[in-house]
Amino acid sequence: MKKVIHYINQFFGGIGGEDKADQEPFIREGVIGPGMAVQAALKDAEITHTVVCGDNYMGSNTETAISEILEMLKDKEFDLFIAGPAFQAGRFGVACGNICKAVQKHFGVPALTSMNEENPGVEMFKQDVIIFRGGKGAVKMRQDVKVLTDYANKLLAGDRGGGALAEGYFPRGCRHEKFLEDVRENTAAYRGVQMLIKKMNKQPYQSELVIPAREAIPIAPAIQDMSKAVIAMVTTGGIVPMDNPDRIQSASATRWGKYDISGMDRLESNVFKTIHAGFDPAAANADPNVIVPLDAMRAYEKAGRFGRLHNWFYSTVGTGTTEAEARRMAQEIIPSLVKDGVTAIILGST
Amino acid sequence: MKLKIGNFPVRDVCLGSENGYKDGVLTVDKAAAIAYLKECDDHITDLDIVIARPGDDTRIVPVIETIEPRCRVDGRTLFPGVTDAVVPAGEGELKALKGCCVTVVGKYYGSFGDGVIDMGGEGAMHTYWSKLINICLVGDTDEEFERHEQQKCNHALRWAGHRLAEYLGNIVRSQAAEEFEEYLFESVSARAARNNGLPNVVLVLQPQSQMEALGYNDLWYGWDLNRFLPTFVSPTEVLDGALISGSFMPASSKWSTYEMQNFPTIKELFAEDGKSLNFVGVILSMLNVALEQKERAAIMVGNMARNLGADYAIVTEEGYGNPDADYVRCQVVLEDLGIPVVGISNECTGRDGFSQPLVTLDSKLNALVSTGNVSELSDLPACATVIGSLEAMNRDGMSGSWGYDEKLGKSARDDGSIIMEDNNWFCGDHISGFSVKTMVEY
Repeated sequence: MKKVIHYINQFFGGIGGEDKADQEPFIREGVIGPGMAVQAALKDAEITHTVVCGDNYMGSNTETAISEILEMLKDKEFDLFIAGPAFQAGRFGVACGNICKAVQKHFGVPALTSMNEENPGVEMFKQDVIIFRGGKGAVKMRQDVKVLTDYANKLLAGDRGGGALAEGYFPRGCRHEKFLEDVRENTAAYRGVQMLIKKMNKQPYQSELVIPAREAIPIAPAIQDMSKAVIAMVTTGGIVPMDNPDRIQSASATRWGKYDISGMDRLESNVFKTIHAGFDPAAANADPNVIVPLDAMRAYEKAGRFGRLHNWFYSTVGTGTTEAEARRMAQEIIPSLVKDGVTAIILGST
Repeated sequence: MKLKIGNFPVRDVCLGSENGYKDGVLTVDKAAAIAYLKECDDHITDLDIVIARPGDDTRIVPVIETIEPRCRVDGRTLFPGVTDAVVPAGEGELKALKGCCVTVVGKYYGSFGDGVIDMGGEGAMHTYWSKLINICLVGDTDEEFERHEQQKCNHALRWAGHRLAEYLGNIVRSQAAEEFEEYLFESVSARAARNNGLPNVVLVLQPQSQMEALGYNDLWYGWDLNRFLPTFVSPTEVLDGALISGSFMPASSKWSTYEMQNFPTIKELFAEDGKSLNFVGVILSMLNVALEQKERAAIMVGNMARNLGADYAIVTEEGYGNPDADYVRCQVVLEDLGIPVVGISNECTGRDGFSQPLVTLDSKLNALVSTGNVSELSDLPACATVIGSLEAMNRDGMSGSWGYDEKLGKSARDDGSIIMEDNNWFCGDHISGFSVKTMVEY
């Protein structure tokens, strides 16, 4: 029998309405209020405990409330955490998102919730937490609980289900491959030609990759005073010392390295090389400056075109490297550049 | 142009002392085949032929190439400009041994573009090849200049594979086929005269051409596609061996020569030709790396499609990563010209699934087919038999495998089990159209 812990607010906890919204969190064994509907729909799982917390308390003391609840859960064994449903209740929705995200991160246990699409909690947490598409108010309790528990039952049985659209939760930008039955109608060739025919005939079709709204990264403002600029070179072109001391991968990189160039006027071949597997390495190995232009930067430095060149360059490999890994590596690299007083970087690609 | 393919179903392959095909059983004179291949190329130092059948508890690695055994009835070479002189392709009669493939395998050494095939168990579902009888050509060469290079031309072994495919095909050259496939590609002006009111559809193929050095890229009549510009070709030329695969590109995103000979998206377009659309041919483009080359190719594809009178297009790329720029750009150019597109390719969303699926995105792409995710992890038990060398996965920089990872260890473990990215399944994402995978939001 799997164990589930349920989270609700003061209203569904039967404490009271707005006047009790400052209620501090507490935990009780068993089910309370909507937990009964959840319990009834769960197969081979029981709600062992219910956490109740006032929406205002969670809203105005979020960090305290979360740490108090995490403390309450510390000695409990559970396989799944369910919050809500929260319907259109904004503060409750945000509370459900906050606590689900924290529980998932802290205990590594999946957390599920449900809200209406107009609940602000959806936009705030849909990437971090599986949020089921719910109704506007408690009159939809039975349906919302059914959708959520149908998925919960699969999840507890080790099945991740058919995906966001099929299961009824908000897409999170998390994409994985799925095998279809091995018949001609499921081949990519057939799917492609049939999709084209539908597109021709103005019939509805479902693109298998919906292009997400773009996150535009603003271009950094220009440097006003180049005479004081400390410039560092960063590359995704895989230039490393010959022995690749940081064992940076040739593709799908997860590691990066920083290498001392103080006193060097150029990167010598046979001292540095590229380990990047996504392009023909011949030119870069013969002259690593074509990827990390130390020679040109030194010439500019000597000519007084900028303050000084930073003594280290940073390197990783861009080919096949995921956006998420690239973002993480940047977040690791940038603080050390800032600490060293670097005011600008030249990011070289290949 | 009319291409007729006489099919000979192969239900089993036996190695024996003479060549023959009878009642679906192909018998291969192994010693004679090996002697022939060695005679053709003195760079080959070691060669063996091993059969792997569907369901066998067998892992094949590093796989370099797969090819369908065929012959040309009129004696013209099977792969013009590759196995012999440059001669016309796309017309005439072929004979094909169906249900099997020549699988070229490095005996010891692999390279960036080489992959893995599992014939049985859970790994079998990852490639189309596990459904075929794999006639594995396992060898080594004296190509010392590239022995320890991550990028290898693998010239001697790849050419041996193409020659073996033709050698095997010739076994049935004088026999009568059981069934035929026929592909008729009428000239564009003949189609215009027919005026059947159906929309014209062009297929844009973007085969691999990223290596600046020659010898690694796909070839068109033996011509390296890095030195190529978009060209209007007949789909029957593609099906008839004018296009062969190269040695570059992570394995799961590759189109092998077998896939080019049987290009599923071409066959599906022929199936609809004259019914729901007019298939007006193939624009063969490429995937060169410089931005200017990408832009030039996209412009030329767009104009060629206009001038062919294409109303709609399908675009498909042999690759992921850098080539996504060509794949996306080409679709945007076509959409801007008023030629709506369907795109077919794989994605790279990372092991957690949260990364951007293509290197560049554009909201004009509104009809995409996704054939898989290069970054899923496969963790599979040992197989009883290994054809080739598991160690290549740890040592040779095969895409999607590694020799060291602080969390996951090495790809080929000492007990024979493996852990790797889907990247390393040979043609695993079957972008050519065999794929029965899609991508789902979880």
